[in-house]
Amino acid sequence: MAHAIEITNLHKTYKGGWSPALDGLNVHVREGQVMGLLGPNGAGKSTTINILCGLVKPDNGKATIFGKDCIAETLTLRKMIGVVPQQIAMFSNLTAWENFRYIGSLYGLTDKQTKDRAHDLLVRLGLDKHADKRINRYSGGMKRRANIIASLLHQPSLIILDEPTAGVDVQSRAMILDFLKEYNQQGKTIVYTSHLMEEAEQICDEVVIIDEGKFIVSGAPLELIKNTTDCKKLEDVFLHYTGHSVRD
Amino acid sequence: MKKILATIQKEWILLRRDVAGFMLLFLMPAVLIIVMAMVQDAPFKDYQELRFDLLLADNDHSRLADEIKFGLKQSKNFHVVDSIEGKPLTEKKLMALLKGGKYRVGIVIPQGATAEVINAANTVANRISEKIGMGKLPAREMRDSMYVRMYFDPVSKPTFRMSISFALDKYITYSCSNLLVSRLGKLGMSQGENIDTVQSDEFKRIFQGIGIKEEPLNDKGEISKFISSVQHNVPAWAIFGMFFIVIPIAGNMLREREERSALRIQLIPHAQNYVALGKIFFYTLICSAQFAVMCAIGLWVLPHLGLSALYLGLHPLALIPIALCIALSATAYGYLVGIVFKTATQATPFGAISVVIMSAMGGIWVPLDLLPGVMQNLAKVSPLHWGLDAINHIILRNGSFSNVIPHLIALILFSTILLLISLYVSRKRTHSVQ
Repeated sequence: MAHAIEITNLHKTYKGGWSPALDGLNVHVREGQVMGLLGPNGAGKSTTINILCGLVKPDNGKATIFGKDCIAETLTLRKMIGVVPQQIAMFSNLTAWENFRYIGSLYGLTDKQTKDRAHDLLVRLGLDKHADKRINRYSGGMKRRANIIASLLHQPSLIILDEPTAGVDVQSRAMILDFLKEYNQQGKTIVYTSHLMEEAEQICDEVVIIDEGKFIVSGAPLELIKNTTDCKKLEDVFLHYTGHSVRD
Repeated sequence: MKKILATIQKEWILLRRDVAGFMLLFLMPAVLIIVMAMVQDAPFKDYQELRFDLLLADNDHSRLADEIKFGLKQSKNFHVVDSIEGKPLTEKKLMALLKGGKYRVGIVIPQGATAEVINAANTVANRISEKIGMGKLPAREMRDSMYVRMYFDPVSKPTFRMSISFALDKYITYSCSNLLVSRLGKLGMSQGENIDTVQSDEFKRIFQGIGIKEEPLNDKGEISKFISSVQHNVPAWAIFGMFFIVIPIAGNMLREREERSALRIQLIPHAQNYVALGKIFFYTLICSAQFAVMCAIGLWVLPHLGLSALYLGLHPLALIPIALCIALSATAYGYLVGIVFKTATQATPFGAISVVIMSAMGGIWVPLDLLPGVMQNLAKVSPLHWGLDAINHIILRNGSFSNVIPHLIALILFSTILLLISLYVSRKRTHSVQ
């Protein structure tokens, strides 16, 4: 299977940063895979995602998506990828529907396309009855789901989610995870970051653990559990490789 | 185009939902126009239509004092107060009254003033008569220390002092000229003939004949339309009010960055440019609507408040491109402030104070002619100057569109430069900050 993402020897140090955010990171993601990018705080997950989206320029190394360079061909790539940012990146004073209509038109979709796609996603994520409510009146879980819909209107081949279930209740989380599994079954590649190992274990085909900007280990969750001494769950594997010390 | 229209629609929904913000966007400039036109009306009328008390202490009790008093009493501007409680004003009392703050100006005609003027007139008449072989009038050496003294309430402005001084000077000059001709006449007049009665009417006619009268530059205009606080203040404060659009624009952009919706736009290919254009179109239209509202107030509201109606000149349609160009400059400035600053705490005071500075530089507060040369040159940097001068061409000078083309080019150039800087800063920040 071809690689959807290839990250090779990626380096990035922020201005005034104490240490490199990425220090020679190598990661490969196959097409159609759900890949969990795991790591403690400051491991370099968000930097990696920002480089993949073309928001941050690496100091060195290369990152490609479907064979296209993430920096040189950013604009082309942005049509192919859907990014679900960690924060709710929506116009809070507009209704969900108004947000989707606006975002859809910026993607160059016709009103009908936007309407059909948004309606389908609203139903699947349980927001169809709340589409005319303003985002600032949504609960945390509803905002997270709306945030995902806004990133998928243009039907990207690759979805990058940065902690999509942070701060949501169990029901919303279950709905989001089910939706992602279903979406992956349509042949879409998903890259996903989370601090919840249980969640990663549940939906990821493969996880990559990174720390201090470096690749640590990768593999299918069950395989990693099996191959790591005294580990019964993914969280044990994670702690085994990243240690117990608290990160800033 | 669809993306730009979608942005305009989005901005319109957001503005419509913020009812208070929407109202303030139009209400505050409207209040500004009304208050400023009314407040500025008084100093505008200064010394034209105002009538105020003028204290006069007459220590001369003779012809010069009588003529000054007569002239002042004839004037529409002064009500001469030369006695208090039936007692003639003394210099000491006059100064005490001025210090009390109730009166603003007082004049003291010194003892012997008429004698001094007559002496001067006689001296001049004698010099002339020497050459033509006429008689001689009694004359002595002239004194240097004889003045009609003026006292002002210390709070009086220089312009007020100047206009009183000019008025007084006019009456004294008139009186002196009158006396001189009278003395010259006396030299050639037979005994018993009364020169004053013979020539006084003639003198009046002569002096009126060389008086001054203001005429309009354009034969279709009327001076009275141009000399009104409304005509001078409504455009100036309208432009000032329009530039305050900087605050809602910058606020809108900062809010979008804070709520991360700006990040969403950044992730959509090419969207940023369309969004920027949409915002600029939208706020340019809002700003132009503000101008229209403020003109409407000048046309239809201010006359109900005792002020004159705004006169839009002979080519009022030329105001439309001017308003659009001013609105574009204001919007471009707001956009730059919104891009450059990272928080509302930085952007709001900078936006507001910089508009006040640019308006002061641009001649909104004080006419540019009164400013030093350096400031007059600096004014060319301020878009408010170009905007105001363009409007003045139309509504004060009765000019047409062709007269304001350089102004429109300057405003468009200003807007383009600001938008290019915004674009540069935005692109640089996207990659360098990360």
